[in-house]
Amino acid sequence: MISNDDIAKVLAAFKTASTYDFSDYCDRSFARRVDKILTDNKISADLFVKQLMSDRDFLEKSVRDITVNTTELFRDPQMWLNLRYQVLPRFKDKPTIKIWHAGCSSGQEIYSMMILLNELGMFDKAQIFATDINTAVIEAAQTGTYKYMFNLNYLDNFDKVMRENPYNFEQKYDVPYEKYFDIDKRKDVIQMNDFLCKKPVFRKHDLVSGCNPFYHQFDLILCRNVIIYFNPKLQNKVINMFANNLSVNGFLILGASESILGSANSSFERMVGFYRKKQTISMF
Amino acid sequence: MESEYKAIMIGGSAGSFQVVCKIIAALPADYPLPIIMCLHRLKHVRSGFVEALSIKSKLPIIEPHDKEPLRNGRIYLAPANYHMYIELGNRFSLSTEDVINHSRPSIDLSFFSASYNYKRKLVGIILSGANKDGALGLKSVADGGGLTIVQDPKECQVPTMTTASMNATKVDHIFTTKQIIDFLLKLT
Ligand SMILES: C[S@@+](CC[C@H](N)C(=O)[O-])C[C@H]1O[C@@H](n2cnc3c(N)ncnc32)[C@H](O)[C@@H]1O
Repeated sequence: MISNDDIAKVLAAFKTASTYDFSDYCDRSFARRVDKILTDNKISADLFVKQLMSDRDFLEKSVRDITVNTTELFRDPQMWLNLRYQVLPRFKDKPTIKIWHAGCSSGQEIYSMMILLNELGMFDKAQIFATDINTAVIEAAQTGTYKYMFNLNYLDNFDKVMRENPYNFEQKYDVPYEKYFDIDKRKDVIQMNDFLCKKPVFRKHDLVSGCNPFYHQFDLILCRNVIIYFNPKLQNKVINMFANNLSVNGFLILGASESILGSANSSFERMVGFYRKKQTISMF
Repeated sequence: MESEYKAIMIGGSAGSFQVVCKIIAALPADYPLPIIMCLHRLKHVRSGFVEALSIKSKLPIIEPHDKEPLRNGRIYLAPANYHMYIELGNRFSLSTEDVINHSRPSIDLSFFSASYNYKRKLVGIILSGANKDGALGLKSVADGGGLTIVQDPKECQVPTMTTASMNATKVDHIFTTKQIIDFLLKLT
């Protein structure tokens, strides 16, 4: 495993040569990612640092390699069921619903959200914003093309969230896949439909900056399985930023095994699986 | 008595569930050390695992959340579908990196980070299992000066994991389930 001295040099190189700052990423997983880059590229830590300093394209590629991008359509179905039955209905009578997917990866989470919104008749009034630090996954998200073979569980998840009702087992919804995506088994492809792909506004954005890249307050912020890569200090900073950019009674949705531990906790009321933004005294 | 160890890490896969049940059933409610378990689960057994183990245990069994601080006297179980690290400062950290050795959680990863954190104050135990995950992890425990134990391959339902561990490093003890329990009880 790479030494702590070498990690320090790598962190310093990113900071000197770019605006990326990974110093508040989790120590062990960051070391592991860098180690993997060194092994995959068969280079020493010193050479890696040199290249980071001299080659901007290499640096950008390294940022993409450091990030972990695993995701699924309707990942963690229980969360989507809560969203469907507990959260989204609260916005039925609002004229708009603004949603930010922070750390959207290759987009499966965004498509899951749009499919759900459409079934609830809320698609047209929704505004969807999506960001990630990794430009390659943003491009994948915009295309909405996914492998079929490796992702059969997407369909299981879809069935659980879109076709079954855990509150009423008799009820089954008949939602055909083709309404939202085409499956081409021969080409091994799941292709999201055009009306979905065109909708979200995508932007490259680094959460470490601690600012909101849009001129909007949000009703819903999803940031799932992203801040697990951050240390408690950076987590708290990011969650405070979310709190400042959520409308009152808006919801923050973290990953299934995440919770708010630091002082940012005081801005929220914890509900099953969600955090609701509390009313604060000063609005400005 | 102060134990010379700070944590016990257990890795297991196929055939380890019954062994784990026996071990945790034998621990008293005031067992002072944290027990950290990284077990492979069958794909469809996502939930209900904690409940099943809790029935047997006098200690609380917890699937830690990300950055949750580690406390003594608890049994921790790596949550399904995440890798689980122990970070310096004794907090858990989760990750969704790709599977390693077909496994997420990866026993190796958990053991690496625990041994980095606890060095010689760690006890690592590998139980029955059908793949090689955990072998390098147990080696890292030994390299860090910690104590290494494998379940006796003769007793394992599937001995691949323990045998691989014994090939990767010279383990301190080869124990039956009963001996593992006696050892853990005597530790404190
Ligand atoms: C494991 S994926 C989670 C995807 C999706 N939210 C889900 O839960 O399925 C984590 C994503 O966070 C992104 N990420 C990591 N660090 C980031 C940062 N500093 N700012 C914005 N995004 C970041 C990664 O590029 C990656 O796409």
